Amino acid sequence: MKKIYLIISILVVVVLAIDMLTAQTGKASKVSFQNEHPDVDWTLGCAECHAEETPEIFKQWSESRHGQVNFGCYICHGDGIEEFSAKGNDDKCSGCHAEQEISFEKSKMESCFDCHNGHTLKFHN
Amino acid sequence: MSISRRNFLKASAITAAAAIIGVEPLHKSSVLAAVVQEGVTWHKTVCRLCGVGCGVMLGVKDGKPFGIKGDKENTINKGILCVKGFYLNKMITAKNRLLHPLIRKNGKLVRASWDEAMDLVASKFKEVIEKYGPDALAYYGSGQGQTEETYLANRLFKGYIGTNNVEGNPRLCMASAVGGYTSSFGADEPIGTYADIDHCNLFLIIGSNTAEAHPVLFDRLVQRKKDNPNCKFIFIDPRKTPTNKIVDLHLQVKPGYDLAVMNAIAHQLIKDGNIDEQFIKENVNFSDGKDPITFDDYKRFLEKYTPEYAAEQAGINAADIVKAARMFGESPTAMSMWCMGVNQRVAGVFLNNLIHNIHLLTGKLGKPGCDSFSLTGQPNACGGVREGGALSHLLPGHRAVANEKHREEIAKIWKTSPDKIKPAPGKHTIAMFTAIAKGEIKGLYVLCTNPAQSLPNLNKYRKGMEDCFMVVSEAFHPTQTTELADVVLPVAFWGEKEGVYGCTERRSQHLAKALNPPGEARWDGDVLIDLAKRMGYEKGFSHFTKAEDVWNEYLLTTAGTDMDLTGATYERLKQVRGFTWPVPTTNHNGTWHRFTPEDPLFPKDKAGNRRMYFYAKPDGKAVIFVRPDKGPEEPVSDDYPVALTTGRILEQWHTMTMTGQVPELVRSAPVPYVELNPEDAKAWDVKNKDKVKISTKRGSLIIEAKVIDRTRRGTIFIPWHWPESLTNILTIDAVDPGSFEPEYKVAACKVEKA
Repeated sequence: MKKIYLIISILVVVVLAIDMLTAQTGKASKVSFQNEHPDVDWTLGCAECHAEETPEIFKQWSESRHGQVNFGCYICHGDGIEEFSAKGNDDKCSGCHAEQEISFEKSKMESCFDCHNGHTLKFHN
Repeated sequence: MSISRRNFLKASAITAAAAIIGVEPLHKSSVLAAVVQEGVTWHKTVCRLCGVGCGVMLGVKDGKPFGIKGDKENTINKGILCVKGFYLNKMITAKNRLLHPLIRKNGKLVRASWDEAMDLVASKFKEVIEKYGPDALAYYGSGQGQTEETYLANRLFKGYIGTNNVEGNPRLCMASAVGGYTSSFGADEPIGTYADIDHCNLFLIIGSNTAEAHPVLFDRLVQRKKDNPNCKFIFIDPRKTPTNKIVDLHLQVKPGYDLAVMNAIAHQLIKDGNIDEQFIKENVNFSDGKDPITFDDYKRFLEKYTPEYAAEQAGINAADIVKAARMFGESPTAMSMWCMGVNQRVAGVFLNNLIHNIHLLTGKLGKPGCDSFSLTGQPNACGGVREGGALSHLLPGHRAVANEKHREEIAKIWKTSPDKIKPAPGKHTIAMFTAIAKGEIKGLYVLCTNPAQSLPNLNKYRKGMEDCFMVVSEAFHPTQTTELADVVLPVAFWGEKEGVYGCTERRSQHLAKALNPPGEARWDGDVLIDLAKRMGYEKGFSHFTKAEDVWNEYLLTTAGTDMDLTGATYERLKQVRGFTWPVPTTNHNGTWHRFTPEDPLFPKDKAGNRRMYFYAKPDGKAVIFVRPDKGPEEPVSDDYPVALTTGRILEQWHTMTMTGQVPELVRSAPVPYVELNPEDAKAWDVKNKDKVKISTKRGSLIIEAKVIDRTRRGTIFIPWHWPESLTNILTIDAVDPGSFEPEYKVAACKVEKA
């Protein structure tokens, strides 16, 4: 089990590092993410496990508007089994934020997460 | 359209990446959106799930669902969706969509043609009528069926077959709210709308985990608090829930003991002088439930309900009750919101009355930011069943079967004989399934609901459903109910049929048909018309060729009533995001506050200078009721020392027929569980994820323990969604004597380590 936690921790560090890089440069990362979730205790819900394993990220999410209304991990990251995106897939953002389409186009960014932190959702965080 | 090389490459790369991970991309940028969305048509519709009524845009490309967006033009959700509504397209394309009729042969459900299935249903139903009379048949519908479907079923069974055994699952969730509104204010459904939220600074949430059961509404409450730091929330509930994130004062009551608390709040409001004497004088009568009483009589009744008495009953602090009363009384605005925790109780109607009482005492009704506002669980419980009159005692347009004039009015519109509609109410849901279990009802038509999982005290009723001739009209198979059926009819799902839903705030909205149903599935309305014709009622149903025909006839039943929808034609509904009735003419745009001068039905001549006039009451006055505190039907005992309460989680809905098809939602809470208070778990030597056996007088369930600080000590909570773990084996089927709604929310149980 410890091995799993180690893998998750490494993954989290990589994700955070890339997010920071993205925020600083304003360019999309060229790093490939491992699109396979570690094999974990699948009887636990995403948030239940991550509250313990990645408490900082959980806290950031929990205090964000998404967290306030429990808009869960799986929306951006997939279910972890059939679909998984470590960095977070922003294909679905416009499902609720269609009004952002125009400003997104003007920004010439590659991804919503180039400017919005994926967990706090803060702009240029 | 020209796109740059950069954008083309971007589009290609993203589309490829999306294909690799198996998702259908909506778009990455508006340029990409234009590329990918070429040939996509977005249809304006309404969410299929809870009763909030969120606007949804369903994208269709090449005849297949392309994507889902919140409808930003919709006043209810302004483009926001919850995690369930977000995956509606995955529900449409679920693997377990039923594509062909099934009939039971030699104990097994096998594929049949529509003709074979419908002839079987018609002949069996006719045989039952001939042998046992029409009351040996029953219809059990849903707050999820479209108004047109429910209207047709009601019309067929009450108006042509001649039985009032017409019920629906709103009996299990909203009947007590109906009882509360009709007794206190004279007419069903709230006075205000969601727009009041944007003016309110004090919310009393009781018996509702709004954050999980009505997430988009909760988001609106979160924003209200964020924008207005003075906005406060009082929460009365036996559990800490995600709703607590915005709560300022939580009265964590023992399950089933909150009536005394509501009376104590009224007691304290009067003691502090936080009442509106003028409003009471002009707008309120008092009653002991049978006879009129005076305000002084009511005050004497309340003397017993000191904060200390109520606190002892409910197991909370008296000071918190005083604080709650003062927060409510001193705020210029206040909205109460409640749901199943209030309605699913043997004292459900009483508790509804007690909530209305404090609004009537303080005059916090009929003005911006003030309302006694019941939340609805299903998307069309209000529209199809409550307004459509599809319960055993009702007729469309807030009419009653017991009223001769009402029967005559409806018979005329239904083109049937007034004698065909019986004056005696049919069997309410629990009585209906009891009669099925006893073999007294021989044939049952179930539409768009799953009673073999959702009824309380399930062990008592499942065998009856298996033994009687049961027809189930469903979009999905298997469900707990289709597995017991004799005939399963494949029907169109959301997006595959046109119709109208009426949500919590009296708003009727049009749902577009964007797709063709898969396989041999048909519109439920078409199936019901077909059945009517095969049973010999062709003359009464042959004029219906499409959903709009049915809606137009339904509008006639609402004309001149308190819920007049005459102005809500299909033509108008397709253009707008619904109307809140009354909307009596085609140049009227709906009503915010009923019973006030802004209401087109407000009788100015009778009302004089009064701010409100409750015109559904004989003298235009609402009623404050004396309602003594009443505990649960099954209090805890030495043998069953723990209180069991049941409810919902954010990611699942009802029996998981729909949400159970979405892997992401299933992943969020993969296994059934029971919440145990950490102190209780320690005392019972149970650790997180241990298996425990939960037993009530009705049955036992082995389930995984989730040790979490949510329930108060001595109380456990089980979400009831998972079909493989039937929570309702444990729940009690005792009903409220007024509303006949069962007490899902409280039972006595024992907990053992399994």
